[in-house]
Amino acid sequence: MRQGPASLKKGLPITVKVPAFVALLVMLVSVIISQRVLSRLEVTQERQLTTLATTYLDGLVNTLIPAVQREDIWEVFEAVDRAHKLYVAIRPLETVVTAANGSIIASSDPGKMAPLAKPPSEFLDKFADTQLVIDNRNSIAYLRKDIRRQSRLLGAVYSTFDISYLIRERREVLSTLVVTNTLLALLFAALGYWAIRRMVQPIRTLAEHLRSGISDSATKIPAEEFPGSGNELISLYEGYNALVDAENERKELAGTLHEEERMAGLGRLASGMAHEINNPLGGMFNALDTLERYADNASARNTSISLLKRGLSNIRDVVRSTLLTYRTDDDPKPLTRGDLEDLRILVKPELRRRQLQLDWKNDLNGELPVQRSEVRQIALNLLLNACTASPPGTWISFSASHSGQALHIEIIDCGPGMPDDAMRYLTTTDSINAPMRVSAGLGLWMVRRLLNNLSGTITVKNLDPRGARVRVSIRPQPESLQHVA
Amino acid sequence: MKPDKAENHTLAGGISRRDVLGGAAGAVLALATASRAHAAGEEFRFGLTPVFRSDDLVLLDELRTFLEASLQQPVSLITRRTYQEITSLLVSGQCHAAWICGYPFVQHRQQLALVAVPVWQGQPLYRSYLIAAEHRQGNSIDDLRGDIHAFSDPNSNSGYLVTRTLLARRHIRPEDFFRKSFFTYGHRNVIRSVAVGLANSGSVDGYVWEVVAQQEPELTAKTRVISKSELMGFPPIACATKLRDSAMILKFKKALIHAHSNPQAQKLLSTLRLDGLTSSPASLFDSIAAEVEIVRGLG
Repeated sequence: MRQGPASLKKGLPITVKVPAFVALLVMLVSVIISQRVLSRLEVTQERQLTTLATTYLDGLVNTLIPAVQREDIWEVFEAVDRAHKLYVAIRPLETVVTAANGSIIASSDPGKMAPLAKPPSEFLDKFADTQLVIDNRNSIAYLRKDIRRQSRLLGAVYSTFDISYLIRERREVLSTLVVTNTLLALLFAALGYWAIRRMVQPIRTLAEHLRSGISDSATKIPAEEFPGSGNELISLYEGYNALVDAENERKELAGTLHEEERMAGLGRLASGMAHEINNPLGGMFNALDTLERYADNASARNTSISLLKRGLSNIRDVVRSTLLTYRTDDDPKPLTRGDLEDLRILVKPELRRRQLQLDWKNDLNGELPVQRSEVRQIALNLLLNACTASPPGTWISFSASHSGQALHIEIIDCGPGMPDDAMRYLTTTDSINAPMRVSAGLGLWMVRRLLNNLSGTITVKNLDPRGARVRVSIRPQPESLQHVA
Repeated sequence: MKPDKAENHTLAGGISRRDVLGGAAGAVLALATASRAHAAGEEFRFGLTPVFRSDDLVLLDELRTFLEASLQQPVSLITRRTYQEITSLLVSGQCHAAWICGYPFVQHRQQLALVAVPVWQGQPLYRSYLIAAEHRQGNSIDDLRGDIHAFSDPNSNSGYLVTRTLLARRHIRPEDFFRKSFFTYGHRNVIRSVAVGLANSGSVDGYVWEVVAQQEPELTAKTRVISKSELMGFPPIACATKLRDSAMILKFKKALIHAHSNPQAQKLLSTLRLDGLTSSPASLFDSIAAEVEIVRGLG
């Protein structure tokens, strides 16, 4: 498939770009939503934790007041131990009850915080005044509450809580959000890919037909490949099919015109051949009359026979040249000097009819590995075109040369110069597929087609003050070389 | 102190304190019903000190069921937090009988009379243990100086008086010997206090420690017995002296002494790891009375 500059620049197809963009958008939205959800969850968790922890300590303090007042180690311990078992939901890790002097009365873990000792300062430093302190890194929350009775400070309760379940809950929510949003993004991407692919399919179909139309003959889009009813692209499809119809009609017309041109050419050729054959025929009949009348006269007989020979020789040359030029040769042979010389004979009737002079120059020696049939047709068409373009009484020029194995042909006429569209048509490689104006001439179409076949090049230049010069260069093709070899 | 001949009344085989309690309750009920000493339908009130498992509601239910079935009258089990409260109820007649400790029995010897004494490991005797954390060294109370010490109850023989007497023999008071002491009002609580590190050492009923060692070995494993006292009279079931010869108490006593033959009582006795109950003279508690005198001597 051919890729133009635009296709090289476009990068990823739209069927990938749009779903990727949608997925990216979904991920972006999910990140923002996740952040908001987690933030709200954290605030809610902290509020609930504060409520629960405060309730826990309030209840514990009320229970502890008489025991703390008596500094009853066992009762304080039992109350704390019972509270730890009772308030499992809030997950108290450690509770320390101190007396007014700051010494420990009892704790939930006496082995760590023994009665009568002072709590370590690093433990006390983690508590703020009646505010819940949350240490997310260690998954622990800290809360303390003073024990007072009748405005008298009896002691304090310090409690730590395990909040790992809250952290875990946040992680689970985050994981759920990530997994869900990723799945949603992938789902949206897949749906987007499917939808976009479905949407651009008609465009792809149209593009395929357009590409195949450029590289080959354009074909209509079958009805079954048309988009569904209501699609805006239906009119585009219909337009494309109408264009293909028009192009096919044009080609058909061009073919017809070409055939007519060929027939006209054949007519002219036949007329020329008839003329060329008719010319000697009169002399030849005279010679036959002479022979019948003066058969015994050796001089007359010899002269008549000589005349008959020349006449027949001329007729043979004309017939042979025509055969060679218009033969469809499946076994191409290399070009020889003589192949081009034949063209002089073929073009002679047209020269005579147009009253033109031919400046002929043929520098070819030996054989050139190019297909002679196509070359001769190119040269003949260009010569006939030059004849047509040149006004009567003027001249045309033909020269053939070679450099190495490349053939160079130059034809000059005295016409008004080649029209721009014909010149553009002749010098553009893909003109063969482009619409052709009838005025450009089917001869030029033939030349362009043959040059494409031979990979030849052509340049056209209008001369000052009048005339046009056409130069053709044809290099041997590998298969030609093979045939030559 | 050696057990007296009363222990011969104890039948062979395992008889638990629960059986004793059940038997006692049954006997009380039977006596009450037979003698009509009390108004018909009057409930038999049996007091329980927190000597052992008074917080086990299932056990209490079983005990009440057994007593009601045995005495054929409603039974009310009265539990209080301290020995003092139960003793007061008993002395004041608000309980017909109660399972108390030898120390309050000695303290109120004039007002109280023995009904039966539980038999543990073949005799109505037990010891007081001094316990400490499992890693502690030593084999004497002298090694516990400066500890935070857990007592059971100020009216408990094994959970207070014995240790108090040991110190009195050294002419020292607990508050001077220990850095701090507190009462847990339950022998199991003493074991737990020492096991978790709330107290460095404790005074506990040897019978309770041994039973807990069987039922909750992971708890006693965290403690170590530093020393054991001499054998003393097991915490008895007592009644007010004025009821001692009443038909109700006599029936109650008879039921307790024969509790080992009652299947329900056997189950209770087995739970309490007691062999049964026996009739003992008050002299069984002379050694405790002597300790009281020693403590009084210190002032």
